[in-house]
Amino acid sequence: MSYFLNRTLSIILTLLLISMITFAVTNILPGDVAMMIMGTQSNPEALAGLRESLGLDDPLVLQYGRWIGGMVTGNWGNSLIFKVPIATLLLQKATASAIIVVMSMTIALAVAVPLGVWSAVHRDKWQDTVSSSAALFGVSLPDFFWGIMLILLFARTLGWFPSSGFSDPGEDFTQSIYHAALPALALGLGLMAHLTRMTRSTMVGILGQEFIRVSRAKGLSERTVVWRYALSNAIGPVATIAGLQIGYLFGSIIVVETLFSYTGMGWLTYQALLNRDVPLIQASVFLIAAVVMLTNFLVDLFYLLVDPRVRLG
Amino acid sequence: MNRFLTTKGLIGIALLGLMLLVAIVGPLLVPADFATRMDMHARLSGPTLAHPFGTDQLGRDLFFRVVLGAQTSLTIALAAVVTSIVIGLPLGIISGYARGHVDNVLMRLVDTLLAFPALLLALTISAMLGPNLQNTIIAIGIAFTPFLARIVRGEALRVVQMPYVEAARASGTNDLQMIIRHILPNIMPQIIVQATISLAFAILAEAGLSFLGLGTQPPQSSWGLMIQASRDYLDVAPWTALVPGIAVALTVLGLNMFGDVLRDVLDPRAR
Repeated sequence: MSYFLNRTLSIILTLLLISMITFAVTNILPGDVAMMIMGTQSNPEALAGLRESLGLDDPLVLQYGRWIGGMVTGNWGNSLIFKVPIATLLLQKATASAIIVVMSMTIALAVAVPLGVWSAVHRDKWQDTVSSSAALFGVSLPDFFWGIMLILLFARTLGWFPSSGFSDPGEDFTQSIYHAALPALALGLGLMAHLTRMTRSTMVGILGQEFIRVSRAKGLSERTVVWRYALSNAIGPVATIAGLQIGYLFGSIIVVETLFSYTGMGWLTYQALLNRDVPLIQASVFLIAAVVMLTNFLVDLFYLLVDPRVRLG
Repeated sequence: MNRFLTTKGLIGIALLGLMLLVAIVGPLLVPADFATRMDMHARLSGPTLAHPFGTDQLGRDLFFRVVLGAQTSLTIALAAVVTSIVIGLPLGIISGYARGHVDNVLMRLVDTLLAFPALLLALTISAMLGPNLQNTIIAIGIAFTPFLARIVRGEALRVVQMPYVEAARASGTNDLQMIIRHILPNIMPQIIVQATISLAFAILAEAGLSFLGLGTQPPQSSWGLMIQASRDYLDVAPWTALVPGIAVALTVLGLNMFGDVLRDVLDPRAR
């Protein structure tokens, strides 16, 4: 029980730190919110008045307190560019992003795990060379370049999928998957390459261990040895790495969603950054970091479940 | 040395050498205005004898643009990685060497920073500082610092427990001497490997930032900017995206191959 109490305290402390870092980073240029609202050509007195009323002249600590107070009580303020409550906006866009994040992770794992195992089993043979080279190539291309190639092939040339836009899954589920397909694939390909490399190296390590040799000596079939004994030992580390990739995915969605005009969290964050919508930047950056941190926590829990050797500390 | 001479190592070195040559020698041979000179009769032209890589929407030669863009992209990536080392190395060493409370506090901060996706952090910093070449370097450099600090700290922690450190301490070596003479040289291999990998990521990050308009700004030319400009002409001139995209891919591929081999040579435990 003390483990969970500890973890909960640690999560709260980390969330607090995340909020401080977010606030610090977005306050490198103080007072800009007023400028943002009124424009750069506005008269200095009106600007000063607005700064005063927004509390931008207060000490940073006070401003931070006000902001974090609002975040905790659910009062996230309004977006300066969209003129709607930030909480509503983020909730709506988060669903869109969740669709492509889950899809890309599923695609990536479905290919990467078998491919990585296959590569490790045939270590240093042609099968390994082919799949390792493909994976190395995969991690070397920017996600948006994958995206452009996918648009050229599947949208412009073959016409199978739309090249841009988002469709609400609540209204038309098939359409929403259709629109999510290419962005999810663009995100998934790089991830797939990365996870293939990781699965391979984890499996190479495990296949070299003593218990594998014992299992083989016992006369177990190669299939049982590889897919049951070795893989069950690799699942923990691979899941951890996949979990860590969530952070990478949330970085990539900004570029990929913008490329596909897929209106999710990434697209929203980009609009906020481009227009210096500071309240919206603060809320979305905080939210993304919080989601990444919580996902890693869940992955740790998963590790505990699949690997009995890891004891509760 | 022979262990560099694998197929992977050789291809990696060849690709890296080619890109470095292009980035260093290219600007000396190609006058800067070649990348901005417009050939209005050959706008969005495919590869021809006059323009071997084709031209963009303003009739600018893509070969010269990609050559001059190499310098920008590689300079930013290199400077960003150096920035991350300058901040991350002391942080990591202090944390791993001092241990205890200092380590706890510093690593808690670093772990929290790791929750921010590197690209998101870089984009936010760049947007806040105002996008230009210098701020792109700062943004990517800061975004990469927590990774580096984490690795350095882990290595420092390992080295501190070595018998030779104990021996040096017994013979009265002070902390500063210890770090410079014993810790630093012994964690260098891992730092070099990490720097190579970071360089690959930094090139991708610069391309991403510039692609979103929050990195290198025109009239400067970078690979990410070229891909951004190509978006509206994909149907008629796909090579405008392919040329800079392949340049990024080859450079990053070269760095990754070199990094893999470097790790096998310098850090046999990871094999």
